[in-house]
This record gives sequence, C-alpha cells and structure tokens, in this order.
Amino acid sequence: MQINYAKKEVSCKLVYYGPGMSGKTTNLEIIHEKVPNQNKGEMTSIATEGDRTLFFDFLPLDLGKVRGMSTKFQLYTVPGQVYYSSTRKLVLQGADGVIFVADSQAEKLAENIESLKDLEKNLDEYGLKLNEIPLVIQWNKRDLPSAMDVEELDKEVNWPGAATTEAVAAMGDGVLPTLKLAASIILDRLNSKEPGAETKTAKMSPEDKAKKEEVYVASVNADKISRGYFNQYCQAQYRLAAKSDEIDDFKKFSPEDKSKLLESLVNHVLLLQDAKSRNIGASPDEVEAQINAFSKRFNSSGDLDGYLAKRKLSMDNLRNEATKNVIIGKIIKDIIPDVKTKLHVSDSEIAEYYNANVNKFGGKDLEGVKAHVKAGLKNKRKKALLGAFFLKLRENAIIEVYKDKI
Amino acid sequence: MKDEHLRTKRLVYYTEDLGLVDKLLGEFLKLASAKSIYLVDKDGHLVTQKGHSQSINPETISALVAGSFAATKEMARVLGEAEFTVMFHQGKKDHIHISLVSERAITAIVFDDQTTVGMVNLYSKELTAKLGKIFDIASKRAVQKEQIEEDYSDSVKERLDDMFKD
Repeated sequence: MQINYAKKEVSCKLVYYGPGMSGKTTNLEIIHEKVPNQNKGEMTSIATEGDRTLFFDFLPLDLGKVRGMSTKFQLYTVPGQVYYSSTRKLVLQGADGVIFVADSQAEKLAENIESLKDLEKNLDEYGLKLNEIPLVIQWNKRDLPSAMDVEELDKEVNWPGAATTEAVAAMGDGVLPTLKLAASIILDRLNSKEPGAETKTAKMSPEDKAKKEEVYVASVNADKISRGYFNQYCQAQYRLAAKSDEIDDFKKFSPEDKSKLLESLVNHVLLLQDAKSRNIGASPDEVEAQINAFSKRFNSSGDLDGYLAKRKLSMDNLRNEATKNVIIGKIIKDIIPDVKTKLHVSDSEIAEYYNANVNKFGGKDLEGVKAHVKAGLKNKRKKALLGAFFLKLRENAIIEVYKDKI
Repeated sequence: MKDEHLRTKRLVYYTEDLGLVDKLLGEFLKLASAKSIYLVDKDGHLVTQKGHSQSINPETISALVAGSFAATKEMARVLGEAEFTVMFHQGKKDHIHISLVSERAITAIVFDDQTTVGMVNLYSKELTAKLGKIFDIASKRAVQKEQIEEDYSDSVKERLDDMFKD
C-alpha cells in the first residue's frame, strides 16, 4: 500500500491468484465492464497468443476523492499455470490483499490445493503468512455440473480459514461482491493499524506547537536543521574552541562567522548521515575513551567539571564532540585505508617547513620545535583529506541553506 | 502484532520529501532534455511524475515498469548478479530508461531524439543517488504529523457500494 500525503493519495494492490483457467482474468474483465468509466483505467494484459496470462493483467480503479484522499485500487492477476511460479511471486510483491479464485469442479480440487500451497510458499518469501494477509477465496464456476458443495470445498481447500464468496464469473455473478469483500478487509486494517494512530486524538502539547512553528536554517538531504539547534551549536563550538576560560555568556557572531558555522554544521550532519549509511556508529565505550583522553588534560575530574562549568558547557556538549571525533576517525579509516602513511610527516618535510619559515620560530632551533611543526603539518594534511571528503559528500547531497533565517 | 509485516511494509510518502523529489525531477528533465519522468515504487504504485507524455497512462506505465523491473531482477539472480540497476528500451521515436533508486523505487524516463541515452544515463545517475538519499533519510524518520482521517475506511466502503450499484 502506498500512502502519498503529498499527492493526497492512497493506493492499494490487490492480486487475483488461483490455478490455471479458474477465472482470474475473467474477474478483471467483468470489473472492467461493470465499473463506470470515470472510475477505471485501461486494462492491460501481458498474455500469450492463446490469450493465457503470461505475466499479469492489470486494471487500475479510481474511486475518486474520499475524505480528502484520492483512493485507488490496482488489480492484478497472476498466470495460473504451475510452471509460472516465479512470475507469480513477482506480482505478489507488495500486495495488500489476495483474492484466490478457486475452480469449484471436483476434478480441479487438487489444482486448487496445489495453487493455494504455492501462494503460501510465495507469500512466505515476502515474510507473509496466508492467515495474516487479507484473503478472500472465491468459489467460482458454481454453475458447472461437477461443482463440489461449498461446505466440502471449504473443508478441503480453505485451511487458512479465509472469508469466501460464490461466483459464476463468466456471467458476471459474484465478481463485484468478492472485490468489495476483499477491499473491506484491507480497509478495516488500514484504519485500525495506521501507524501512529494512537496519537491521533491526543491534544497537541505546547512543545509540539513550538516544534510546528520551528524555523529552519538549512536542510541537508531532507534532514532539517532548526534555528534553535543551530544557535546552540554555535555557542558550543565557540566555548569549546575558546582559548581561555574567559567567555561571553552569549556570544554574538557576525553574519560571516554564522555562515561559516552553518557550513561546518552542515558538514557535521552530512558526516553523520554518511556514517549511518556505512553503518558506522560510536559505541558508548568509544565515546567514553575519547572523553577520558580529553580529560587527561586535567589533574582531577573536579578540574574537568570546573572547566565545563566555567565555559558553560555540559557533558552532553562534550559527548557530542567526542562522538563526532570517533565517527570521523572511523570514516577516514573506511575511505582511506592507508591513512597512516598518508598522514605520516617525514623529517625532511619538517626541516623544509622549518627552513622556509625560520623567522617565525624566534630563533628556536629545529629540534626544539620539531614536535610542534610535525603536529601542525599532520593537522593540515588531515584537514585537506577531510575537506576533499566533505566536498565529495556535498556533491551528492541536496543542501538548502536559508540565509535569511540565520 | 499479527500483521506487523503489512504494517511495516506500507510505503508512506510525506509532503516535505516529495516537494524535494518533485524539484529534483524537474531539474533533471531540464538538464537531460528528457520528455517525462515517473517515479514508481517497486510494488508498482506511481509515486510522482514530471513532464508530459501524452497518451501515456501513468498508472499503467508504473505497473509495467515495476513488473519488468522485477522480471529483470530475476534474470539477474539467475546470472548471479544481485540486481540490474539500469534498463533501456529503444523505440523508433521514443525511448525509455529505467533505473533503480535505492531499494525501494524506480525511475522511468521517457525521452526522444532531443537528447541521447548517454546524457539521460549521466544525469539519472546523479538523480538516483540524490533520491536514494532522500528515501533513506525519510525511512529512518519516525515523527509523522500527517494522518488519514479516522472514518476513511468506512467512507471508501460507501464509495465502493455506490460504484458497484447496478
């Protein structure tokens, strides 16, 4: 079933199943004949020259707008012959309900049973059970002399305990009631099992209302970034990066700085999305390890608390940063397996950098600044690698920035 | 829950996602100079369409596209491939290019000699990557505000009664 809120449309798929020559295509033809023109589309058949269904017949029904939703039923038949099992399975994909057209004649009993078993097997491949899917069995060809009693058929064939109808499809009898019954069973489930239906009658809380009126500053592949979140991010980044503990209560940013911060937040979101698609996450242990590494800067845990308090940072801010770092580390390992060699800074590179910038070092000799230069160069290289990675992510992403909302 | 499968298999498309999708489809048509594009889910329901191809019934083309895609998937399986991601049918005037979008949908692009299959292929690759991302994210999102009205089912049944009155 497809529920398309953008187009205000509900579309259900109903499949006619059953043994060869039991009357599945005839059911569709009668529906096509009887339904008013404005409610039906063209009937399409993929059939052999001998008019046996090869793949499927298809008939779209359009019920028009119901309660604001344009409502459609897509009717399909499957080929009945035993050897078309694989094509039958394909047509069953995504079926919301099945009408099993059984041939009432005594000599067809075994074929009916075989076909219902085939349905059971094919449904199973989609993880569905015969007694769970909306199913109606139509005892067709009631007019033929060798037709078995309905009670008997029910005993022999209807082991799933499905609802049943009687029909003489070739004469048009019982076709529409069968369709209606199947449609009702599907519809009854729709309303009772609508995801989130339990919240339908709940009143909107103030927080929900606030959420509804939320202003967004950007959208990244349909993930929206709210202004509130962006502002928090800006403050947290500023506090984390501040050189001293002397921080503003609420830092005001220039438009340029805000743009830059938004860019970095967009990158952050892209990164998390990419990590998700790669199934990369940060386990609580890994995050704790990152935080521990950070807190080594402090002599005691009290100092860390003090640092956070002075900077008005919460443990959550720190945790977010740690999570990001863990994930970045993992993604880099994922996309650049030889990252260690790529980030390796050789002694000659350090010397070269030192010689080119010797006056920056205020007379200190190479040995004295080596570690510092090495870390700097490594960082630069890491940034370049990350930059290229973000560029690639951005190329394939749909990013919208609402500058006027910043 | 008894029919958990049915419930979770329901395909729901929300307004905000499809707004973005429609925009992308429109941009694609311009870039690739194609005539029309149909986004179809794998079960054969039309999701949305852009552009104009007279004489094409969108519902029928959706069912056929999904069916033939499913059939080629079986062919792929027989060959030991997971899936063929692109299909192309050449006609005298009009051609159709069909490609898979993530695990759940298919684009069918109708074009003529205003453009080439190479152009269509090139831009559709970009397009399907972007659409895949949107679906991926949409499918992980839990919050949903849009709902179907409570007495919808009963109203549909009444409509069916009217329709089938002899």
